[in-house]
Amino acid sequence: MNFPSPRGSSLLISPLAKKPREISARTLFLLPGAAVMIVLFLIPLLIVCAYSLLSRGPYGGVMGPWTLESYRRVLDSLYADILWRSVWLASVSTAICLVLGFPLALFIARAGSRKTMLLNLVMLPFWTSFLIRTYAWMFLLRDTGLVDSALQSLHLIREPLPLLFNTGAVILGLVYGYLPFMILPLYASLEKLDPVLLDAAGDLGATPWTALWRVVVPLTREGMYAGSLLVFIPCLGAYLTPDLMGGGKTVMVGTLVQNQFTAARDWPFGAAISLLLMALVLIVMRVLARRTEALL
Amino acid sequence: MRRFLLAWACAGYLFLYLPLFVLALFSFNSSKIAVWHGFTWQWYMDVFHDSALLEGTVNSLIIAVTATIIATVIGTLAGYALWKRPVAWLTNSLYLSLLTPEIVMGVSLLAFYQWIFRFLHVQLGMHTVILAHISFSLAYVVIVILARLRTFDTALEEAALDLGANEWQVFWHVTVPMLLPGIVAAALLCFTVSFDDYVITSLVAGVDSETLPMMIYAMARKGVSPSVNALSAMITVGLGTLILLAGRLDDRGRSTP
Amino acid sequence: MNRRIFLMSVAGATAGCLHGGRRLNVYNWDNYVASSTIPEFEKEFHCRVRYATYGSAEEMLAKVMAGNSGWDVVFPSNSFIQPMRDLELLAPLDHARLPDLKNLEQRFQSPQWDPKLEWSVPYMHSATGILYAKSVACPPLRWADLWKDCYSRRLTMLDDPAEVFGACLKRMGDSINSGDPGQLKAARDLALRQKPLLRAYLNEEVRDQVVAGDVLVAQMWAQVGQVAIDASDKLAFSFPAEGFALYADNVAILRESKHKDLAIEFVSYLLRPKVAAAICLEMRTATTNAAGRALLPESQRKNTVLYPPPEILSRGEWFRALPGSVQRLRDRYWTEIKSA
Repeated sequence: MNFPSPRGSSLLISPLAKKPREISARTLFLLPGAAVMIVLFLIPLLIVCAYSLLSRGPYGGVMGPWTLESYRRVLDSLYADILWRSVWLASVSTAICLVLGFPLALFIARAGSRKTMLLNLVMLPFWTSFLIRTYAWMFLLRDTGLVDSALQSLHLIREPLPLLFNTGAVILGLVYGYLPFMILPLYASLEKLDPVLLDAAGDLGATPWTALWRVVVPLTREGMYAGSLLVFIPCLGAYLTPDLMGGGKTVMVGTLVQNQFTAARDWPFGAAISLLLMALVLIVMRVLARRTEALL
Repeated sequence: MRRFLLAWACAGYLFLYLPLFVLALFSFNSSKIAVWHGFTWQWYMDVFHDSALLEGTVNSLIIAVTATIIATVIGTLAGYALWKRPVAWLTNSLYLSLLTPEIVMGVSLLAFYQWIFRFLHVQLGMHTVILAHISFSLAYVVIVILARLRTFDTALEEAALDLGANEWQVFWHVTVPMLLPGIVAAALLCFTVSFDDYVITSLVAGVDSETLPMMIYAMARKGVSPSVNALSAMITVGLGTLILLAGRLDDRGRSTP
Repeated sequence: MNRRIFLMSVAGATAGCLHGGRRLNVYNWDNYVASSTIPEFEKEFHCRVRYATYGSAEEMLAKVMAGNSGWDVVFPSNSFIQPMRDLELLAPLDHARLPDLKNLEQRFQSPQWDPKLEWSVPYMHSATGILYAKSVACPPLRWADLWKDCYSRRLTMLDDPAEVFGACLKRMGDSINSGDPGQLKAARDLALRQKPLLRAYLNEEVRDQVVAGDVLVAQMWAQVGQVAIDASDKLAFSFPAEGFALYADNVAILRESKHKDLAIEFVSYLLRPKVAAAICLEMRTATTNAAGRALLPESQRKNTVLYPPPEILSRGEWFRALPGSVQRLRDRYWTEIKSA
């Protein structure tokens, strides 16, 4: 991913004497982050790579000999189907999050002094366990649950609607679980927006909707991209939502990987699937970034 | 337009809080099964008498706050540096860490720790959990900070440099104040991700570092459990009150000139 | 290091700090001790117990596999005893310190997974059967009934490959531990045929839905079934005629444990009739302790769901640990079933 350097880089303006200090300050800033990534992420990741090339232990774990067997097994139409379905579900959920989250983020960003409080109130539900909130949704959506009972007592429907244990329920669960991950980056981006721009658009004759579409949205591209990333990627790896809200009837990539490390006790295979998935998504992201330069 | 936003926001908040209302409702249910039976305060009493549960909550808070502070600081610095001049391998690593399924991250960290423990005589504990949390939340912080930084006009920074400030002063007195809402958003995200993490925490936690999600998963595995509901309701009401109070104080603070 | 010297030094060290100095770390399934069990043990033996729970045996195994997890006492299911033995994770049990072993029921005195009870002591047992609403038109008394389309899709199976394959294999008259590729393929096809009739694959979460009436029939563990029946008298539980799966959770001490002295006291404590009875009364589990069972009220002692009579038990089969290749085949078929 290439980052265009800021216009009028300070390298041109500041005297040469400042150069050495610039570099060292930047390095200092990078050092802790780099250290954390190397020690606590890249090295463990190398271990996982090693796992993917080993054979499964009889009861979980890994053991020799070294082999490419796991990767060979992944190249199967069964897993391609699962991957495709996961990508589709994640994309739909991300799109819905974007549509739902944007107005909400805009509202909070323009709320003046109440901004932080409203932002905190968005996050508050997510400080209670995701598992029990999912159970609460299951309770709401099941046949004898509140939603169906309410609709039936209002005589809007006769038979309970199948609101649970299907794809729709999974999408609802995913959207619900990741909405704040969309709202926060959007807010960070929208908050910076100068209201003067909207006033100017209004003065030039744009309706609020046109101003929104043609002024606000383009300026918050960064926030939308960040939010989409932070929703799409975890959705791919979700396993609790498809299992509970979907009734375990759909396999997503997340459930597949989870299963390999738990019930199936086939760590090398789980490692291979994860690594291939990660490589695939990373490549797609780089291609997209190069194509749509403005987004990054 | 304003009315539309308000209506949308109300609907949005309702959507977010709906399961919580259900939980709160059933925390008063006198039956353990999720079918309404009668009203009772029993589960709330149970929570207060459960010292293990309270200990788990404290552990979760300690871990989340520590990890959030450290990750936000490191992440903000790293994000700023990356914005000035990109470092490909670091950015890719951060994105990769987001892509990694939780269980893979947990298993890899566990294996890493076990390998290190052969040289240092340490065991799994709070420190291993905090380090793990910093590791996976760093990417979130950097992405949110970068998103905000890219809407920046660098003119202010350059002006400050021209006026004789050094890099550090520019960062501290010019950039950070403008970055503050982004930092707050990043910290909130970090705290949320850390407080509710189950998979990674359960794998790298030691004997004495049980967290709230681990206990909740154990208690709630069989379905909606009333004492868990009571605990969640209490957490929500408690934190919610804090938030509202802080908002009021902020309001008053701002209105006095 | 000589085990005796080790044990004696541990005993010496622990004897040196009587009040609150001794520690025991117990890692158990949830809902397996009464609220009084741990506090009374702590009081009697002047120690502190760190008690934590896990939700799946694989989770526990992943943590203890490296050999320095910090836990002392764990509760593996019967099919995990042999694997843990192979991985050398368990410490042998000194029967001289377990006088109450004789309290165990006859069939647990010499179980197939640990004939001499060298490494584990059976703790609680259960089985897999069918929980159903009494009002259904065709009561499911056989696994084959679950393939009939008479529950209007209000049927669930367990989200556990071993259990689903178990049901299919039993329906065909094979063993639940079968590794035969032909039989497994047939089982997979059966499961695929059943999937459209299912509402979902759910574990204990479905209990509330059965009680509320959303789900009419569910493949379920007997223990959970009993809790549901307690909540609603409109429910019943059946042990399928073709056969079903049995399982038992056992107490074991880890080889890495630094508190083996206290650990064996804990195992002995759990074998006491009064302690076992207290746990069962509160948690509605089924104990392997015959003397403990005798202390229970008649309604629980004679409960046929928790303690099936011998003629029903004879149809049951214990789960076994399966070799890697069989495991892989089953997992592949399970993925195919779930993603269909």
